[in-house]
Amino acid sequence: MSASIEIRNVTKRYGGLTVLEDISLSIAAGEFVVFLGPSGCGKSTLLRMVAGLEALDGGTIDLGGTRIDTLPPGKRGVAMVFQSYALYPHMTVAQNMGFGLENIGMAREDIARRVTAAADVLEIAHLLDRKPAKLSGGQRQRVAIGRAIVKEPKAFLFDEPLSNLDAALRGRTRLELAQLHARLGSTMIFVTHDQVEAMTLADRIVVMHNRRIEQIGTPMEIYRRPATRFVAGFVGTPAISILGVKAAELGPRGLTVDLGSAGVLQTRLQLPVAVPAAGGLEIGIRPEDVTVVPPGGDGIPARAEVVEHLGERTLVYARLPDGQQITAEADGRSTLRAGTEVKLRLDPDALHLFAADGRAFHVDAGGYDG
Amino acid sequence: MAPRTYRPEALNTSKGLFVLACLLAVVAMAPIAWIVGLSLKDNKALMLGTEAVFALPYTLANYVNLIGSSQVFGWFFNSLVVAVGETVGVLVLSSLAGYAFGRLEFPFRRTLFVLVLFGLAVPEQAVIIARHQMFNWLGWHNTHLGLIVPGLTSAFGVFLMTQFFRAIPKEIDEAALLDNTPPFRLFWRVMLPLTLPAQATLGIFTFLHAWNDYWWPLISATKKEMFTLTVGIASSQTNFAQSEGLGFLSAQAVFASLPVVIVYILFQRHIVTAVSGGAVK
Ligand SMILES: Nc1ncnc2c1ncn2[C@@H]1O[C@H](COP(=O)(O)OP(=O)(O)O)[C@@H](O)[C@H]1O
Ligand SMILES: [Mg+2]
Repeated sequence: MSASIEIRNVTKRYGGLTVLEDISLSIAAGEFVVFLGPSGCGKSTLLRMVAGLEALDGGTIDLGGTRIDTLPPGKRGVAMVFQSYALYPHMTVAQNMGFGLENIGMAREDIARRVTAAADVLEIAHLLDRKPAKLSGGQRQRVAIGRAIVKEPKAFLFDEPLSNLDAALRGRTRLELAQLHARLGSTMIFVTHDQVEAMTLADRIVVMHNRRIEQIGTPMEIYRRPATRFVAGFVGTPAISILGVKAAELGPRGLTVDLGSAGVLQTRLQLPVAVPAAGGLEIGIRPEDVTVVPPGGDGIPARAEVVEHLGERTLVYARLPDGQQITAEADGRSTLRAGTEVKLRLDPDALHLFAADGRAFHVDAGGYDG
Repeated sequence: MAPRTYRPEALNTSKGLFVLACLLAVVAMAPIAWIVGLSLKDNKALMLGTEAVFALPYTLANYVNLIGSSQVFGWFFNSLVVAVGETVGVLVLSSLAGYAFGRLEFPFRRTLFVLVLFGLAVPEQAVIIARHQMFNWLGWHNTHLGLIVPGLTSAFGVFLMTQFFRAIPKEIDEAALLDNTPPFRLFWRVMLPLTLPAQATLGIFTFLHAWNDYWWPLISATKKEMFTLTVGIASSQTNFAQSEGLGFLSAQAVFASLPVVIVYILFQRHIVTAVSGGAVK
């Protein structure tokens, strides 16, 4: 029932404005892929081209080995869940879910059977006779998903389906979507600008930026080995700290970077020759890789400007003597207060190096099992 | 006096305005009450002076006579055919045109829409001679068709329906497209039901307008049996002072306004919505 999706050299223009340029992407059958990127980067446009709601200005799209960009939306075998849900206001929940099946001439009993089954899965069986206006946001959401499920599509397309829900419901629905995917095993494309949704749901994340695909990878790859400075900065909350490199020297043990007031760090980074060792280099380091040294310990001096006590950990937004900002993490039981001097320690193996053209290099080889 | 807590609801009632509103209501209601009063009086009593309205006895004789007079029922029937025909026609045409203007792409869409809107600015008087001759040539005078057709071209209706169709979110169409909905079914099953409030508004206004219309029926329907109620009742008025049969005439007028009153009572809620421009739901 699920099918692979092959997007080849797809381009989209609005008038003179190119919003997507030469996009290619393979999605395996049954895969959960998330398009992640800032607002306006073209995620919805790409999804809508798969759905058939936008025409292509170049390239092709295949679903399950068949070219679909030549077909009208209803004939493509995909189902879409809109951000606004787009339920038919004058139809009951059951009619909303069954409408698409009615259109293809399915027998009444078969429609009823599918609608009931989907309603049971989504726990909306008691709402089947209601109209959308009488439903809460979360319930409408489920109906929209139900309307997609009953079609038994080859692929599900979601365009920011959780963004109209409140935080608690969003978290719960996210989990349920993951369960739904596990149960149905269908190919799913999910568009979001929310990195938590992307990290939690995706088999693979497609990070988009500036008309292009910036990186395709598993959530762990995206987080631990971002391909570019943009990806490193976009994924992770609080954001990765970026520091300028004053001087760098490639020795036998790896790259040594002089970070000015953040000290000199010896890393195990082996740079490809193509990257100039100096000039426009930056390093990035995630908050969890910058630790606040307990009083009396040794480290880089900084001033804690804002301290957030989150309970399980403490976030310290600090400023180095040369004015650069760096985010650090302290123990959850820390009683640190804003305005105090702290000592920081940077994990040299967790550094990311960014070349002037935005490419990234990493010491860390990735994650590990367990 | 001790400071009191501010009550927003106190804004709603200003005694002076309330009294003024009541006075205006009485002024507005007086002619209606007057007609109803006259219709309940003996015609001879009224000939001596209409102040007889304020004194007993009252009688239903005029209404009984009304039932005996076949003419009024004929006119009533004509009015009903014209008003219903015009209402249905306007709803169908305005919905189709509004859907096309509001949601479809076709050549010269904007130009055509502007042309239609010109219709709002052209008064009936400006075209009535040409129309009269045209209908004469078609042989449509003194027919129901001739009374209905001119009212079918409703620039206002097209404008209203266009605005309504335009306001439906694009995602609804898109969802329907993904649901494999054929074009006419999209219009009929998905879009049209969403414009029901507008249909009600337009239907009520068209019906009331057609029912009360006087000028075109006066020109087009020259045979007594093709009169509508408005023309018919006016024709039974003997002179402007009308000293004879005043009670009977009033009974006819009351009878003539019954459908309007019924429409108003049935669709009260929609009329409020229409008048308030959809702000009150
Ligand atoms: N119908 C349209 N006409 C012109 N520009 C559009 C249209 N739809 C989208 N765009 C532009 O295309 C870009 C990508 O839009 P979109 O795919 O909606 O972004 P995202 O979903 O990532 O926020 C934006 O810059 C947007 O302004
Ligand atoms: Mg979007």
